[in-house]
Amino acid sequence: MQINYAKKEVSCKLVYYGPGMSGKTTNLEIIHEKVPDQNKGEMTSIATEGDRTLFFDFLPLDLGRVRGMTTKFQLYTVPGQIYYASTRKLVLQGADGVIFVADSQEEKLAENIESFKDLEDNLAEYGVKIDEVPLVIQWNKRDLPTAMDVEELEAKVNTVNAATTTAIAATGEGVLNTLKLAASLVLDRLNAKTPGADMAAPKAEDKKEPKPEVYVAKVNKDGISRSYFNQYCQVQYRLSSKTDSVDDFKKFTLDEKKKLLESLINYVLLLQDAKKRNIQASKAEIDTQINTFTKKLSSGKSLEQYLKDRKLSLDNLRNEATKNIIIGKIIKEVIPNLNARLKIKESEVQNFYSTNQDKFGDKDIDAAKPAVLAAIKNARKRELLSEFYNKLGRETNIQIFHEKL
Amino acid sequence: MKDDHLRQRRLVYYKEDLDQIEKLLDEFLKLSNAKGSFLIDKEGHLVTQRGAVQQINPETLSALVAGAFAATKELAKLLGETEFSVMFHQGTTDHIHISIVGNRAITATIFDEKTTVGMVNLYSKELNTKLEKIFDIAARRVVKEQQMEPDYSESVKDKLDNMFED
Repeated sequence: MQINYAKKEVSCKLVYYGPGMSGKTTNLEIIHEKVPDQNKGEMTSIATEGDRTLFFDFLPLDLGRVRGMTTKFQLYTVPGQIYYASTRKLVLQGADGVIFVADSQEEKLAENIESFKDLEDNLAEYGVKIDEVPLVIQWNKRDLPTAMDVEELEAKVNTVNAATTTAIAATGEGVLNTLKLAASLVLDRLNAKTPGADMAAPKAEDKKEPKPEVYVAKVNKDGISRSYFNQYCQVQYRLSSKTDSVDDFKKFTLDEKKKLLESLINYVLLLQDAKKRNIQASKAEIDTQINTFTKKLSSGKSLEQYLKDRKLSLDNLRNEATKNIIIGKIIKEVIPNLNARLKIKESEVQNFYSTNQDKFGDKDIDAAKPAVLAAIKNARKRELLSEFYNKLGRETNIQIFHEKL
Repeated sequence: MKDDHLRQRRLVYYKEDLDQIEKLLDEFLKLSNAKGSFLIDKEGHLVTQRGAVQQINPETLSALVAGAFAATKELAKLLGETEFSVMFHQGTTDHIHISIVGNRAITATIFDEKTTVGMVNLYSKELNTKLEKIFDIAARRVVKEQQMEPDYSESVKDKLDNMFED
């Protein structure tokens, strides 16, 4: 930033950063198009024939005199492609504010993350910490079918809790808002300290406002936050996937989300009830479950490998084990004559076998019996459990906010 | 250390410094017979311009000169130099001589056939020594109290709002 008291001028530098093709130049073009003539200069692009930015684009904005000071913003973009690392760094020099234009498309996630890290590194080379510089992240290309949810992007890219906006730069949507937000962050900084010896940048804590938590449901007093729910969905998907190779991020339909939310609410109900009954899962019990689970892994796979393949942590697995143990204990306690109710008559076995014969191939009824018994038992357990959940649910104040899913 | 770093980041120019700077630039233009000269900070902001160069867009020139300089610095590093202190671009009628001043500013001088690159280079060295002295004194001076209006930032935000509503 330059403050020129002699010329009564303030000049700020804003840099548009981000991966290749994320829409940085488009942002500048839209600004150039929408700003009245008297407020803008020529837009200069140092680009290749393919219209990719080679060095930078530059657009000067002149707001005219404000409170006696002629106020100017110099907008720059950096080239996004990975191999222009050194030019990116040069353009970033002396930036008073940064606008990180992220491409919302799922397949661009890795590039966004890499570019954000690159920004952090390059700022660090100028002795600037990323959470100290006025920074706005623009989630661009919101209109594309593969655009990820903003929450997912926030979780994976916005590691510094920066201010964010959404945009469809190609149509101009959100472009001016992003610029205004970035400009105000820079101006707030100017306001705070001008220009004395005490020019230290405000601490990150000062400018950050905690983001309000969004709840997808409330079970009695326990709120289920959207971020927790999203995490739960991913873990459930990874645990229940039929194959060991799982996607980085699984997208769910609204119906799937509703079902998952129901199961999570049931789990919370269960935990609340277990607490009342003082039912817990001990560490030894959890260890035993994990051991049994490990032994059952196909082809002697190690637990580490299993977790790695499924992108799970050991804690994810231990939580799941805890849930199973608590379910087992509660069922025993709350359902009288559990064993009697789980007793299966011979006629039921025959009935199940004949209606589901196709599932047992050429096995006769005696060979299939253990599998039949297990299937009937599981179905009955589920039934009993859902009765139990319904009962718990009736005694509980549950609020579900489907619109927040 | 921290103050130093931040002083580098925010460049403040006061009238008394700029009066001296402009006087030096005028003298330099007279001696070298160049058309005009721009003083630019390394981040690409124009500090001031002198001479008959009004038809050139100073903002764009500043951004490009600072960018070219930064790129050349990388080139210098490849050769094991810290930086190239002078750059010269030759056109058919107009030429530009770019020279670094201390570690935070650049002069860009436009000249034509009325003089030579040697003359411009010679006098620009003298100019740079004098400019560096001014910058040194300015950097060491105890910074003055705030001269900006207290509601400056809010007013700029309002102005931005109005500008985009049109």
